[in-house]
Amino acid sequence: MNRISAVIDRFGRAVLDNIEEMGKILILFLSVLMWMVRPPLKLRLIFKQMEFVGVKSIFVVVLTGTFTGMVMALQGYYGFRMFNAESLVGSTVALGMTRELGPVLTALMVTARAGSAMAAELGTMRVTEQIDALSVMAANPVKHLIVPRIIAGVVMLPALTIVSDFMGILGGYFVGVPILHINEGAFIKNITKMVDLGDIYNGLIKAAFFGLILSLVGCYKGFNTTGGAEGVGKATTEAVVLASVSILISDYFLTAIMF
Amino acid sequence: MIKLVDVHKSFKRQKVLNGINLEIEDGKTTVIIGGSGGGKSVLLKHMIGLLRPDSGQVLVDGVDIASLNDRDLNEIRKKFGMLFQEAALFDSMNVMENIAFPLREHTRKKNDEIRQIVEQRLKAVGLSGVEEKMPSELSGGMRKRVGLARAIALHPRIVLFDEPTTGLDPVMTEAINELIMETQRNFDLTCVVISHDVQSIFKVGHRIAMLYEGKIIEYGTSEAIHNSSNPVLRQFLSGSLEGPISVM
Amino acid sequence: MSSISTEAKVGLFVLVALIILGYMSFRVGEGGFGLKKKGYPVQVVLDSATGLEKDASVQIAGVEVGRVEDISLRDGKALVTLRIIPEITLAKDAEATIKAYGILGDKYVDIAPGTPGEERIEAGGQIARTGRQADIDKLLSELGAIAGDVMEVTASLKNTVGSVEGEENIRAIIHNTRVITEDLGRIVRQNDAKLSLMVENLSEASVEMRRAFATLNSIVEKVDRGEGTIGQLVENKEAFDNLNQSLASLRNITDKINRGEGSIGKLVNDEDTVENLNASLQSLGKSMEGIDRFVSKSEQFRTFLGYRGEYLFDSGDGKSYLDLTIRPKEDYFYVLGLVTDPRGERTVTDSTTNGETTRTESWEKNELLFTAQIGKRFKDIALRGGVFESTGGVGVDYFALDDRLKLTFEAFDFGSDRNAHLKTYAEYRLLKHIYLSAGWDDVISNEGGESPFIGFAIRFEDEDLKYLLGSVPIPK
Repeated sequence: MNRISAVIDRFGRAVLDNIEEMGKILILFLSVLMWMVRPPLKLRLIFKQMEFVGVKSIFVVVLTGTFTGMVMALQGYYGFRMFNAESLVGSTVALGMTRELGPVLTALMVTARAGSAMAAELGTMRVTEQIDALSVMAANPVKHLIVPRIIAGVVMLPALTIVSDFMGILGGYFVGVPILHINEGAFIKNITKMVDLGDIYNGLIKAAFFGLILSLVGCYKGFNTTGGAEGVGKATTEAVVLASVSILISDYFLTAIMF
Repeated sequence: MIKLVDVHKSFKRQKVLNGINLEIEDGKTTVIIGGSGGGKSVLLKHMIGLLRPDSGQVLVDGVDIASLNDRDLNEIRKKFGMLFQEAALFDSMNVMENIAFPLREHTRKKNDEIRQIVEQRLKAVGLSGVEEKMPSELSGGMRKRVGLARAIALHPRIVLFDEPTTGLDPVMTEAINELIMETQRNFDLTCVVISHDVQSIFKVGHRIAMLYEGKIIEYGTSEAIHNSSNPVLRQFLSGSLEGPISVM
Repeated sequence: MSSISTEAKVGLFVLVALIILGYMSFRVGEGGFGLKKKGYPVQVVLDSATGLEKDASVQIAGVEVGRVEDISLRDGKALVTLRIIPEITLAKDAEATIKAYGILGDKYVDIAPGTPGEERIEAGGQIARTGRQADIDKLLSELGAIAGDVMEVTASLKNTVGSVEGEENIRAIIHNTRVITEDLGRIVRQNDAKLSLMVENLSEASVEMRRAFATLNSIVEKVDRGEGTIGQLVENKEAFDNLNQSLASLRNITDKINRGEGSIGKLVNDEDTVENLNASLQSLGKSMEGIDRFVSKSEQFRTFLGYRGEYLFDSGDGKSYLDLTIRPKEDYFYVLGLVTDPRGERTVTDSTTNGETTRTESWEKNELLFTAQIGKRFKDIALRGGVFESTGGVGVDYFALDDRLKLTFEAFDFGSDRNAHLKTYAEYRLLKHIYLSAGWDDVISNEGGESPFIGFAIRFEDEDLKYLLGSVPIPK
């Protein structure tokens, strides 16, 4: 009897903790919104974060985007060949990239690269009292540290995603046309026919959401780090896991709403 | 002037401050002593609004900062400077930018003027030619000096020191103590120093307060404390294992 | 690496991303996107719109000329609204049919445009004729019926042929056939002589026939010479004279007209009248041409007048823009304008007294700056270059939401003593002529000029100015 109640107790506590955490993230988000509209905006810090999140992620995003497009083309080819519909490979790659894989893969790569770095950086600043130092100097830490990261995430993710989309389609093209000898005209015609502007734009809206999620989670975990170097490590891991899971789950709901 | 009235604070179920009453005198250096983990840093953080009391008042120039909103609290904070235990310099900025940070935040000074002030402050803490260095390139003592330079950049009236000599060798400890005294005199500061280093206490402190089990058990001039017969204080100052302070 | 600033790297990256986005939208939106704005609607009522979806293709001879805009129900039939590009005209007898790409492919609307020269279908009109739809279901059910018939036939065949009796019958038939052909061969061989005789007779008969034709010929010749009754009738002189007479009088009348006798003759033969008529016709032609040219030029030619006010938060100043946009053609334009700059122009003077240098900065307030730009628009993106606030610069506009929203980025004043003046803002059309905008001015200023701003603008097309300018020759 005692054992059962202990299990229920633990389960209930876990649920409560999660709900509490969601609430705290939401509150952090609201204070970010509040500080975002209060001038002056720290443009230099924003640009610095944009460079970190966006410019320095170009390489991985180009790499993953290209190879994903290539693999999709290859796999799609074996399937479509059974129906003599090889020319649909291009539109499959294009739709897959613009709607799903572009935004999601980009978000996961950036989470791993920049989301983790945000958590680690803010976590270190927390345990070495740099965040307190900011407060003491009457400089709001949310404004100085979190707002630039959130803005960078929300703005840069769509930009990276469009690059990823483009590279994926290009990768698909290079596997499809020169290697698998799919008719070039039909390949491209099918892409332009089947892909709508809405597919691209909705993908970019998704990407902006993912950018918000990964930067918000990274900042939240880093900002609330306790327990020295070990705590920083824990915060980083938790940030990557929570952000990745949130991105994949929210992707389902965003897709359900938009398409 | 800082005045704490019946301040209580607990974390989870542990009571850290249990009715603190303390008045910091203007223009003097007050040292708060007490055992490790005894809540000295917590007490210091209450004075600048980094922590808010569960009950009680923290009065700075007559204003209860525990009940202020962020904006008003920031106004009060401009009167303060603070030197953190590990100096808490911003890793991402060089020495110059670290010291310039409060100036850029709160003044509309031009670059040239800021550079001048930074050089002046660095000279005041006995450093020069380190403007372009990153904090990771500095030794512990140098970091503390830069931290102090940053704390006094805006010409505050009150400077808080969180264990300024912890982790330094005896020579460097002496140098930092000298620096605290000198700065206090030159800038006519009200200083609050947290320490458990007995040598330093009597060197820098005009007033000394002893924090024990969440309360201020003794408060007075350094001579008075030196000659106090309070058994807790006596044990603390002599570093003896015998007495009311339980080690385990 | 360090020579490229963070801002430049980020800006460059965002620019590249925008270009890729623009390129992809352009490729994907080809036909479809532009069509939604242009194009005219045409309706067609179909018995069934099975499988047809919104945005499906509308084609003439396999070339896309529009999209399906809407599908709804009217009186139990499908009312399909098509949007056709303006270059295509459909005649009243045009015919619409739903077709599919292959058996599994998407449905589309195929239009036979009708007879050219017939009255055309106006915007909002209806295509009256619909073709029989190649409905796969119908096709399958017909195929089913055919298969049923075939099965019946094969069944009865099976009954007659498939049984032992049938097989024997067939064998007997084949046997008989062989016997008959053998007999035939024998008969031919045996009657060889008789057959050759028959052929000879036939050739003789043809000779006789030729002789009969010759006789017939001689009869016709006789008729020709007026011999016999028929000959006399044909050769009747009197009838021929009558005909001659009436022709002569007709000749008489035309001669009179020619000589200017009678009223018609006078009119026709008067040189002046003809010349007058000719001249007036010519001048009419010329003026028509002129009107034509003028109207077509003016129609393309559009001018806009605009005022925009901006409130800069940080300095609390206002900035005003008065712009005249001249757009000789759809895709390119000129902007001329005046700008009042609250900060004006900075002058720095160094003066040396007693070896000490003092620097004084003074600001010439409320200076009037001017703008002169040339721009070209590519789909949703317009590029501008020229004079921005009295300095050289470039700008990019991105249009979205049917041009209601405009995102602008401008860079100018690349002086060496300060950072370039970057300005970025979004403008939204609130009402017909009223615009709201918000953005940052002088984003990377190193002189404290950086400021967010909100703005308000009025912009309208000026008809009078347009005709005034329309008559001025503009270099193309």
